[in-house]
Amino acid sequence: MAEEEPRIGVYICHCGENIAGAVNIEEVKKFVETLPNVVVVRDYLFMCSDPGQELIKQDIREGKINRVVVAACTPRTHEPIFRRALEDAGLNKYYFEMANIRDQCSWAHWHEKEKATEKAKQIIASAVAKARLLEPLEDRYVDVTQKVLVIGGGIAGIFAALDIANAGYKVYLVERNPSIGGNMAKLDKTFPTNDCSACILTPLMVDVANHPNIELITYAEVEAVEGTVGNFKVKVRKKQTWVDWDKCTGCGACTNVCPPKARVPDEFNEGLSKRGAIYIQFPQAVPKKAVIDADACIKCSGRWFGEPPRTTKDGKPILAPCEKVCPTGACSRDEPRNPEGELIELNVGAIIVATGYKVMDKKHFKEFAPDSPNVITAMQMERLISATGPTEGKLIVPSDIPKYEQWKKKVAKGEQVELDARKPHRIVYVSCVGSRDERYHTYCSRICCMYMLKQAMLLKEKYPDLDIYIFFIDVRTPGKDFDEYYMRCRQMGIKVIKGKVGGVQRLPDERLLVRGYDAEIGKPVELIADLVVLATAVEPSEGTVELARKLGINVGAEGFLKERHTKLYPVDTMSEGIFIAGCAQGPKDIPDSVAQAKAAAASAMSLIAPGKMKVEPLVSEVDKEKCSGCGICVPLCPYGAITMVNYNGKPRAEINSALCKGCGVCAAACPSKAIKLHGFTFEQVLAQVRTLAKRGVVEVL
Amino acid sequence: MEMMEEGVPPVLNLSKLAEREETELEKRVAEIIKELGAERIMYCMQCGACASICPLARVGFEWYNKKLIKALILGLKDELLDDPTPWACVACNRCTEVCPRNVSPFEVMFAMRRLMAEEYAIGTLAIEGLRALYEYGHAVYMAGREARKKVGLPEKPPTTDSDPKALEDLRKILKQTKLADLGLVPME
Amino acid sequence: MVKYGLFLGCNISFNRPDVEVAMRSIFPALGIELDDLVGQSCCPTWGTMPSIDVVGWCAVAARNLALGEEKGIDLMTACNSCYGSLNEARHKMLTNPEIHRKVNEILATIGKKYEGKAKCRHVAWVLYKDVGLEKIKESIKYTLDGITVAVQPGCHFLWPSNIYPDKEEDPFNPVVLRKLCEALGAEAPYYSKLIDCCGMGALRSTDPEKSFILVKEKMECIKEEIDADLIVTTCSSCLIQLDDAQERLRKEGKLNFSIPVLHYVQLLAICMGFDPEKVAGICVTPRDEIIKRILENKR
Repeated sequence: MAEEEPRIGVYICHCGENIAGAVNIEEVKKFVETLPNVVVVRDYLFMCSDPGQELIKQDIREGKINRVVVAACTPRTHEPIFRRALEDAGLNKYYFEMANIRDQCSWAHWHEKEKATEKAKQIIASAVAKARLLEPLEDRYVDVTQKVLVIGGGIAGIFAALDIANAGYKVYLVERNPSIGGNMAKLDKTFPTNDCSACILTPLMVDVANHPNIELITYAEVEAVEGTVGNFKVKVRKKQTWVDWDKCTGCGACTNVCPPKARVPDEFNEGLSKRGAIYIQFPQAVPKKAVIDADACIKCSGRWFGEPPRTTKDGKPILAPCEKVCPTGACSRDEPRNPEGELIELNVGAIIVATGYKVMDKKHFKEFAPDSPNVITAMQMERLISATGPTEGKLIVPSDIPKYEQWKKKVAKGEQVELDARKPHRIVYVSCVGSRDERYHTYCSRICCMYMLKQAMLLKEKYPDLDIYIFFIDVRTPGKDFDEYYMRCRQMGIKVIKGKVGGVQRLPDERLLVRGYDAEIGKPVELIADLVVLATAVEPSEGTVELARKLGINVGAEGFLKERHTKLYPVDTMSEGIFIAGCAQGPKDIPDSVAQAKAAAASAMSLIAPGKMKVEPLVSEVDKEKCSGCGICVPLCPYGAITMVNYNGKPRAEINSALCKGCGVCAAACPSKAIKLHGFTFEQVLAQVRTLAKRGVVEVL
Repeated sequence: MEMMEEGVPPVLNLSKLAEREETELEKRVAEIIKELGAERIMYCMQCGACASICPLARVGFEWYNKKLIKALILGLKDELLDDPTPWACVACNRCTEVCPRNVSPFEVMFAMRRLMAEEYAIGTLAIEGLRALYEYGHAVYMAGREARKKVGLPEKPPTTDSDPKALEDLRKILKQTKLADLGLVPME
Repeated sequence: MVKYGLFLGCNISFNRPDVEVAMRSIFPALGIELDDLVGQSCCPTWGTMPSIDVVGWCAVAARNLALGEEKGIDLMTACNSCYGSLNEARHKMLTNPEIHRKVNEILATIGKKYEGKAKCRHVAWVLYKDVGLEKIKESIKYTLDGITVAVQPGCHFLWPSNIYPDKEEDPFNPVVLRKLCEALGAEAPYYSKLIDCCGMGALRSTDPEKSFILVKEKMECIKEEIDADLIVTTCSSCLIQLDDAQERLRKEGKLNFSIPVLHYVQLLAICMGFDPEKVAGICVTPRDEIIKRILENKR
């Protein structure tokens, strides 16, 4: 409780032209001088600047004032600045109130200057009314859990985890696929250096697996998140593998015996080949362990999950081929199917979301003959030219992949046969398929121009006879060394055409008739291609919105995770303690993803490093003497911060100040008015309301 | 004004075009086209998808969809009045179907026709069609009596051709449209 | 019986009345009653009111549509241009209240109004959806066994897909006309220039030579890829263009083969046993051979 009478200093900011342009500062000053308890009124061009803050500090040091009202911009950005000024000058920083006469006054009413001035007076009066009733409060500190959860094991997640782990903190890296590596593991080479993607990625993946501070939890998904910054409780659901990873050596014997009927499109090869129900995600997988996809499994030998095997007449168990062939006995169907999987709980202080992207399926784009096997997405092309891809890097038209697979079988049997598959001679790239398009996504997917050039360059280097056309709308190559890369491509004879392809028609021999336009010459063009590659739009990974809801973070209109501020806080979210990085935040290439990952890691570390976290005292508190024990407040709290406790033999509500976010719902609902929200008490809020209702008259009660 | 020579000059003087829009027309040509029915002309990013499949572009007409849109946005108008391309548009709408900005280039071609009609830059065949529409209620009217008799149909189809009241109704409608304002066909 | 207003359009009424006879024969036999829609006029076609002003276009179209609306029936047509013009106009009225209002103001002066309920369907969709392939199969006396058909749905049948009451699942790979032909026993394969424009209409009136380039490309593709015996279309304009332009190209030595052209309703009428002279008697490229072949295929 304040011993002395409140002596309020009111500081009115011009904010350059932002406020002074609509509000008559002089007139407002004169009015404010008449308000009760106001002893000092000053105005300045930029209150938040050094000299501006000095005005306040000076008045405090000289003992003129013991309460401060700053009438300026928004507390969202500037409240901390002024509170610090009070603290520096030796005044309790919660003796500060901010009146927003910019966003809520001058900016909104720019063309009605008289009314804006009137409104500014009333806003400041209500701030003064509250300032008269402000109480000194003390910051609190809570312990933070010095561990971080990284969701997503792509390049961004990997770098975030490594940076934090190297600093000495524990990291949980949760990845929903059996292996980490993300989309980068699918790439053949990366632009602009044309580094082999696997070569630069796998050492990092191995580092992650071997790092003493990183606990790698793959084939698992985040189920629920509770708690708050510094103390998150995360439930993670580990999916069933039916392969004991402690025993599995990743030899792959099981994958070879899975029968054809159980084969489904291989996600890693973007559907260009098939994998078995039991599979290892890709040859360089980390961890290299097999899993059984229960939906694809056809339960050979009657091996249903969770049931004992049938037996022969001699009582020997009849096992599935994958179980039989496993050298370590890791593969077993004994566990019953449990869609819940295994739930584990992790306690962390900060979370980084790096869940990456996927590319749009070609089936949406009917004008490009998506039914043709020789019309593929760029990611499928990336797999086609990869040494670990469906044709081990042999460039053949996708319509001949079945021929390739038959040839492989024959070779495996020892037959000496030549591969009779058609090599493409003419390849066409189509840009902006689904991007910059009002019918699908209006954004530019950012990486396509460069990756089309990259694929074309790699192909042209390996097969100089190839005739490659890239149809761009615009050529966007802004990064470091990118434009030089583009020029090299042109010099190599890759045909760059500015003009979008409007139609692709299937021809009888599975070639394609491409109808495009050359905007540089100004004529429609057409050609017959062996292969058409569509640069389909980049979208956030499947399930991004659902994950965002679980975490309580926002998603933008186009589906990507929303950053706190487009310019200044690209890796923060509106939820403290949760950071985002990589393509989950928006389409970008690898260097930008890594930069964001490192930024998010640094932010997460600066949060957990001190070990304690300052928490604002603007939380709710129950006066147990007034509380009637009705319990209405308990289910209302969105943060689960209220419980009933024993107080002198009676049940009374108690609020955990570490969880309380100061939303005020409980205080508003309490029928006994037993709950006080510090910083927004009933008396303070009512005083503001009364002042506004009386159009700026501050009651002195 | 020097730009009024035949057709589009080899070099486009953009400042003269802009001045003409500012002083003579007092609005941008693109605005005029918008008002004539092509509301989304300014959304065009000149990607060329519409041109790649336009039948007119493929057979050699000059100011087909993409190019016409750009010309209009730059302020060309009078220079285009002699070009027959807009009158050749078959309204197939394949351009509308592939446009990533929902511009509907077809609407631009037809808005251009409406602009040309205002300037009386309209060919005789079109005028004939309009005259026939007013006189008989049919744009294509060849006295195909013989053909109808040959296949056993009554000489006149059950249209305005055989229903004078309906023809009157149609004429009454046409008299209340821009066709009457422009005075392109005699309407007694 | 389902009833539709038969919207004829100028070309069918005067240039190809055999198509009209075909429709008047098949639909009653298939359980679809036809209303003459007495007093109908030009839709209005693209070269007329749509080229002058939007409200005028919609007013003329609305008068035609109202003829059906006041009887509580929809229209159907065998001419793609009419199908396109009427549906574009209807779409404009339904999405732009200002236009709709102005149109009804004009219609009020002749004692009519158009609410927007009545729509114009295409005879091919009525046959596909209302009648159904099974019933068509049962109703024919002659089949097209052993005959290869090149289908020409025509542009306005497909685009712009958002304005039509019936839509193909894939407007770049249409299957409805192919299935309708297959129901008659024919092979109706895909060919790469299936959806290409035939060049009729304004293109032909402005520059016939240019429009014939498109016909030549189309015909050559059909000959090379599927060697069709017959071209079947759902559009009266495509019918006239492909039928007539072939002859011109042959005269100029630019084409050295001949493929007869029929509108689907004509083909169906022949298969149902109606008199070919009446339902398919007007043509430039001879049809006798193919009609003879069909009539030899008794079901």
